[in-house]
Amino acid sequence: MKKLVNMICIVILLGVSLSGCASNAQGEKGDNSGADKVTKVTWFTSRPVDGSIDQTMKEIAKMYSEEKGGKWEIELETTADRPSYLQKLKTFIAGGNMPDIIDIDADPYCKELVDANMLIDVKQFLEEEGKYDSFYPTALKYQAFTDGTMYTLPLEYHVEMTWYNKEIFDQYGLKAPATMDEWLNICKVLKENGVTPISVDGVDRWPVQRYLAMIPFRKTGNDFIINLRDGNEAMSSETGIAAAKFLQEIGGYFNDGFAATDYATAQSMFLDGKSAMYYIGDWEIASMQEAYDAGKIDYFYLPMMEGAKTGVNEFCVNSGIGMAFNAKTFDEKTKDFVLYLIDHYGSVYAGKQQMSPLKTELPENIEFSDLYLRIQNDMNHTGENFLKPWDTYLDADSNTIMQDNMLLLASGDMSVEDFCKLVDDAIRANSTK
Amino acid sequence: MGIIRDKKAFWVFLLPALLFYIFAVFYPIGESIRLSFMQWNGIGDKVFVGLNNYSAMFQDRVFYQALINNLIYLLIVVAMQLSIGLFFAILLTFMKKGVMFVKTLYYVPCIVTTVAITQLFRSIYATEPQGLLNLFLQSIHLNQWTTSWLADIRTVLIAVSIPEGWRFTGLYMVIFYSALVSLDPSVYEAAKVDGATELQVLFKIKIPLIKEILLLTLTMCLTGALRGFDIPFLLTGGGPGNASELMSTYMYKKAFSSNQYGYGSALAVFIIIESMIVVIILRKVFTSREESGKRNLTKGRVKMWKSQRRGA
Repeated sequence: MKKLVNMICIVILLGVSLSGCASNAQGEKGDNSGADKVTKVTWFTSRPVDGSIDQTMKEIAKMYSEEKGGKWEIELETTADRPSYLQKLKTFIAGGNMPDIIDIDADPYCKELVDANMLIDVKQFLEEEGKYDSFYPTALKYQAFTDGTMYTLPLEYHVEMTWYNKEIFDQYGLKAPATMDEWLNICKVLKENGVTPISVDGVDRWPVQRYLAMIPFRKTGNDFIINLRDGNEAMSSETGIAAAKFLQEIGGYFNDGFAATDYATAQSMFLDGKSAMYYIGDWEIASMQEAYDAGKIDYFYLPMMEGAKTGVNEFCVNSGIGMAFNAKTFDEKTKDFVLYLIDHYGSVYAGKQQMSPLKTELPENIEFSDLYLRIQNDMNHTGENFLKPWDTYLDADSNTIMQDNMLLLASGDMSVEDFCKLVDDAIRANSTK
Repeated sequence: MGIIRDKKAFWVFLLPALLFYIFAVFYPIGESIRLSFMQWNGIGDKVFVGLNNYSAMFQDRVFYQALINNLIYLLIVVAMQLSIGLFFAILLTFMKKGVMFVKTLYYVPCIVTTVAITQLFRSIYATEPQGLLNLFLQSIHLNQWTTSWLADIRTVLIAVSIPEGWRFTGLYMVIFYSALVSLDPSVYEAAKVDGATELQVLFKIKIPLIKEILLLTLTMCLTGALRGFDIPFLLTGGGPGNASELMSTYMYKKAFSSNQYGYGSALAVFIIIESMIVVIILRKVFTSREESGKRNLTKGRVKMWKSQRRGA
C-alpha cells in the first residue's frame, strides 16, 4: 500500500512539473502582448532571404520601432522555397496557430480562409484609410478575387518577358518575334542549328505553366481559366487543346531535361550563352543588367497571334504574393504599422532598383539604370488586361495534377488528349468536394 | 536492490518513456486513422465521410502507379543494400589491415545529411553542366546512353532509388561484417580441413549461420524502403508527371499540397498496413522454414531413436 501511495505521489509530481512548464510558457506569451511591454508581431513570409523586400521591411520596421521607442517589434520568419512555405503555413493554420501576418496568393485556399472569416478585408481597409489610390490599379487588381474583393496587400510589381541572346539571334539572322508563329519558327531555326532555343526551370513548375497559359490569354484574356475553374469550360475545348498543343510544340524546344532543371541552372544557361531565350520577370533585372549593358541581351513581351483578344501591351503583369492579416490579431497597433508601411514602402523599395506597387517618386539620390527606366516605362503603358497565373485560379489539387502532368506533355511523354482529359477529370472531381 | 525486485516500481520508471511513446507514435497513428474517415481541408470543421477516402483511393490511377513504383523502388533499394553490403562485408573479412578505416569510410554516407546526398546525386545525374554519370558514359563511347536521368521517365525511378540504396550499404556492411567475424572459426576451419573451398565455406556455412541477422536486416531494409520518402521527394517530387511517385510522396502531396488531409491520411494508413503485411509475411516465411527445419530435425531424431531401439 505504501508503495502504491509513493507511486501516486511520483505521478502527481511529474504531472505538476509538466503543467508548470506549460503555464510558464503561457506566461511569457502573455507578457509580450501586455500593454506596457514590447508588442511583437510575427510575419510568416515567403520572400527571398535578404532580398529587396526582406531588406525594405526590416528597414521600415526598424524606423517604426525607433519612433515607438522600441516598444514595437516585427519578427520575420522567412521560408523562401514556396512549396515548403505553403506546407508550413497550411500546417500552422490547420493546427489553429495562424501567424499575425502571412504571405498568400489570392487563390482558392485564400478564399477558404476568407470564407472562414480568418483574414482582414484589405480593400475595405485601404478605402477606409484613403490609401487605395496610393497603389497602381493593376497591382491591386492582381490581388483581387474574381468577385472584386481583395484580402491581400501587394508588396511588389512585376512584368514578365522573354529575354533573348542578341548575339545568337544575329548569328542566324533572327529578330524578336511579333507573333507566336514567328516565335516557334525562331525556335525551329535555332534547334536545327544545334542551339538550345529556350532554357526552362521545370523544377518550380510555374515557368512551364506560363507557356500553357499563353494561347488562352491571347484568345480570351483570363476568361478561359476562370471558366475552366468554374466548370463552364473544358481543357478539351478548342482553346484548351490549342494551349496544350502549343506547350507540346514549344516544349520540344526546351533544354534537355528541363523537368529536372532548377531556377538557377536555367538562368545561368541563358546568361552563359548556352540557350538563346529565357522567360523571367523584371525581378531578375540585377542578373540581366551586365549582359544588357554590354548589348548582349534584350527582351520581348508575349507575342501576338491572329484573332487575339488581348493587346500587344497586355501580358503577364503581377504584384507577387500578397500580404494578408490575421483577423483575430489585427489590432490598432498592427493597423498603425501597416499605414506607416504604406507611407514609406514605395520610396525605400524603389531605392533598391525595384518596381514598387505603390505610386512613388523615384529617389533623386539614386541613379537608375536604363534597363530599369525602360521597364518602368513599359509598366506605365501596360493595358487593362494581364495574364494572371493559373495557379492562383485553380484549386490546389487540380493545380498539382495539371503541373505534374504538363511536364510530361511538354516533354512529349503524354498526348494532348490524355493531358486535357486528366485536367478536366481533376477539376470536375474537385469541384464536387 | 529491493526496488528493482518490486514489479510495480518498474512502471514508475517506464511510465515517462511509455507516455512519450504513446504520445509520439500511437496518438499520431490513431489521429491518422480517425482523419482517414474525414474530409478536411485544414480549415473549418472535419466532415465524416465513412469509407469514401478509401474507395476513392482504390479508384485512383496514381495510387496504383505509386504502389507499383514503390515495389520497384523497394526491390532496387533492398537488393542494393543487402547484396552490396554483404559482398563488401565478405571482402572485408579477408582484409588483414585497415579494416577499421574501410568500415568508417563506407559508413560515411549514413551520417551525411539527406539534402547533401540529394545535391550530390543531382550533380551526378545532371546534364547541365554534364554530370559524372554522363561524362563517364561519354568517356567510354556510350554517348547514346547519356540522358537527363531525372527528367527521363524511363530512368527516373531507378535514378531516385539508387541514392537510397547506396546510402545505407555501409550500415548493412558493418552489421554483416560483425556477424561474420563473430562466427566460431573452428566450424569453418573444420570444413576447410575436409577440403571445402572458400566459396563452399561461404555459401554452405557462413551465410546459413548468419540467417538470423539476414532476417533482421531484411526487415529493417524493407520497412525502411516502404517508408522511403526524403531522397525521391527532394530529387524529383515524384515527377516528371508521376513517374517517380512513391506512396509516401503521394501521401505527402495529397495532404500538404492538395489540402486533402483525409485522403492523405487514408494513404498513410495504407502505408502502415502495407508495412505490417510485409513484416508479417517475412516472419511467416522465416518462421515456417525454421519450424520445418526443427520438425525435420525432430523426425530425424525419432528415426534414430527407433533404429537404436530396434538395434537394441
